Amino acid sequence: MARVSIDPVTRIEGHLRIDVEVDGGTVQKAWASCTMWRGIETILLGRDAREGWVFAQRFCGVCTTVHAMASVRAVEDALQLDVPANAQYIRNLILIGHALHDHIVHFYHLSALDWVDITTIPQADPARAASIADGVSIWPGNSRRNLEQVQNKVKGLVASGQLGIFSHGYWGHPAMRLSPEMNLILFAHYLQAIEFQRKSCQVVGILGGKTPHIQNLAVGGVMNAINLNSLATMNMDRLGTLQSLLQDLVPFVQQAYFVDACLLAASYPEWFRYGRGVANYLAVPDLPVDAKATQFDLPGGVIMGGNLGSVRPIENWRDGAIRAAIAEDVTHAWYVGEGAQQPWKGKTDPNYTDFQGDGKYTWVKAPRYNGHPMQVGPLANILVGYQSGHGLTRKWTDDALKRIAAVHGPTLRPEDLQSTMGRYLARAIRSAMLSDLALQHLQLLTANILKGDDTIYNPPQFPQHQIAGVGLHEAPRGSLSHWVVIDKGAFSNYQAVVPTTWNASPRDEKDVPGPYESSLLANPVADPAKPLEVLRTVHSFDPCMACACHTLDASGREIAQVKVL
Amino acid sequence: MNTSAGRRHPRIAVVGIGNVLLGDDGFGPLAIEMFRCNYECGSDVEILDLGTPGLDIAPYLYGTDLVVIADAVHADERPGTLCIYSEDDLLAQRAQLRLTGHHPAVQESLAHLRLAGNAPSELLIVGIVPESCDFGNGISPSVLNASPFAADKIAGLLVERAIDCRRRHAPCQPNFWWLSSDRRDSVHNEKDQNQSPRTSGCLETRFPGTDCQ
Repeated sequence: MARVSIDPVTRIEGHLRIDVEVDGGTVQKAWASCTMWRGIETILLGRDAREGWVFAQRFCGVCTTVHAMASVRAVEDALQLDVPANAQYIRNLILIGHALHDHIVHFYHLSALDWVDITTIPQADPARAASIADGVSIWPGNSRRNLEQVQNKVKGLVASGQLGIFSHGYWGHPAMRLSPEMNLILFAHYLQAIEFQRKSCQVVGILGGKTPHIQNLAVGGVMNAINLNSLATMNMDRLGTLQSLLQDLVPFVQQAYFVDACLLAASYPEWFRYGRGVANYLAVPDLPVDAKATQFDLPGGVIMGGNLGSVRPIENWRDGAIRAAIAEDVTHAWYVGEGAQQPWKGKTDPNYTDFQGDGKYTWVKAPRYNGHPMQVGPLANILVGYQSGHGLTRKWTDDALKRIAAVHGPTLRPEDLQSTMGRYLARAIRSAMLSDLALQHLQLLTANILKGDDTIYNPPQFPQHQIAGVGLHEAPRGSLSHWVVIDKGAFSNYQAVVPTTWNASPRDEKDVPGPYESSLLANPVADPAKPLEVLRTVHSFDPCMACACHTLDASGREIAQVKVL
Repeated sequence: MNTSAGRRHPRIAVVGIGNVLLGDDGFGPLAIEMFRCNYECGSDVEILDLGTPGLDIAPYLYGTDLVVIADAVHADERPGTLCIYSEDDLLAQRAQLRLTGHHPAVQESLAHLRLAGNAPSELLIVGIVPESCDFGNGISPSVLNASPFAADKIAGLLVERAIDCRRRHAPCQPNFWWLSSDRRDSVHNEKDQNQSPRTSGCLETRFPGTDCQ
């Protein structure tokens, strides 16, 4: 029995530690521990509820807009305040721009090198690579010339003997199996991706006034003044700029990223057998298409026990069941208290005990849905959408499954997506779908403005009595909810139940583990000193990324240090 | 951005990095706000508060000629000391940005951009040695006092490179919105329905480069 401790797995915001016990080449037991606490919600107590979003978007450096959005939605929910249709569309476009950016970064820069061995690229035949790529996509970046250029850059890097940031990858690991040509194609797109991240940032920036911290929100709407005759406001010029940015961005997502994810899935079919974990799924509806938020372009719902037929739709944000069902358990988390608390009554009083595998071992609370752990994220999104008959989800999922079968990959059903590879694929399916929706929502906004509607804001009125609300958002990493209690216009409680809290959840009072922990069980680990397989599954959830893994034996002695890209 | 006509507009990014909610880690955003208020620049200079972007910094460095990053750094000096580093210092780890969170990400983003052919031609760091980076503690006096000098230093680096950057005759009032301890028991409802929406006071900084008299 080897005990492997990967600490930290996280590179961006918040620190994640993963411990696994490996026996007979597979993981027997796992713990997910968040080793950093900021108690950031406490900074909002007593603040003006109209300003909460400005602080909330500093919770995380990467998921800025999502917290801003959940915060204004929570206050609007408490006030039962509608926002104008223009505001919905503008918010939706920002959320899509952010999500596309996030998913592109995740696939290429945060996880591709778990699967792509760049050190084989010098052996690739660029003509053959171009012909493989041309056979599956019309993406213009796949020309032989482009691929040759990328190959030469990598050759230069390898020949220099200084791989720099790439020097710590698991190159030559037996679980790396792509051909040199496939590695070349994926790495070429890895480099091209930066230009398209930039374009998605520009979409957010044009609408949000600034990026990464948007400035255009208000409780009750947005502050994007609309006047087609003014140079300084939202006008046809800006709408045209957005259109042309999206026309550049969408092909990259649908012809490069989406296709690459299908190729990767076809090349590593065994990863549809690992990493299923918690098979209860939660997705909240998002991308409202009307002022009153009665219709949504992304459906929400709950699936229990991996039984897709059991899907219970969540029709809208006022769904009573979800409010009653969510509670957070702190049995194994470094907080005072026991058992589960509904977030409106939740407290965040720290009680640090050091890492105790059978006791408290993380700063993450254990959110539960009617007492059950839930998996959130693009996979939940896709499974719920597919089973609810959502047209775009079906279109892109069916397309993905067909593509995988067509390149001699496995024949898969949607339920087979419940796996490590399924999470990667679901994120690409979601991105392809969001790309279609970005163009649609820009059309909705334009049509509404041309109709003469320039309303952007309904002013909030705060009552003298206490009110409570929840703001929901289906963020890139999954369902996000901000729970607020407001007294005379100021916050008296604020709790954020974030996607990573659901997925990185520790055990609860019944000792039931969360999604990260259970998805690692039965994962293969060929070499405990190079726990690449563990990282593939952890990264499939899109947590923040690893920069250094310390591998420890059971006595806690460091036996190897492996840096991870 | 893409340049079609072969003529490239020089782009300069003055970037603040750090989490404003974590005490002196907010030095980056503080320093660039001080710079914005004390100096005015040509339209080729962008002033960007990027928070703690991790790898997401790459799109903001993409295709730039010069990047000046303001951030808290690890250095064996007294708190409040300003340290100027080059890109080589960063790559050789002589410059240690404060959080492990964004430290490797800047180097990785630069490496990605270099391979892709869109890296900044020059990158400089105006760092400060922090006193305390604890949650919710605000900025230490030593770091606050050093921030106008950091702004001057940023301006000096630009001027040395013949970039249009002049001291304002009448400096703007800096808006350190995150330092306000504006908590209350109740807020007043807006009486006038036509009044523009209220949000934080940070709106004045919405469009960098615009004048703020």
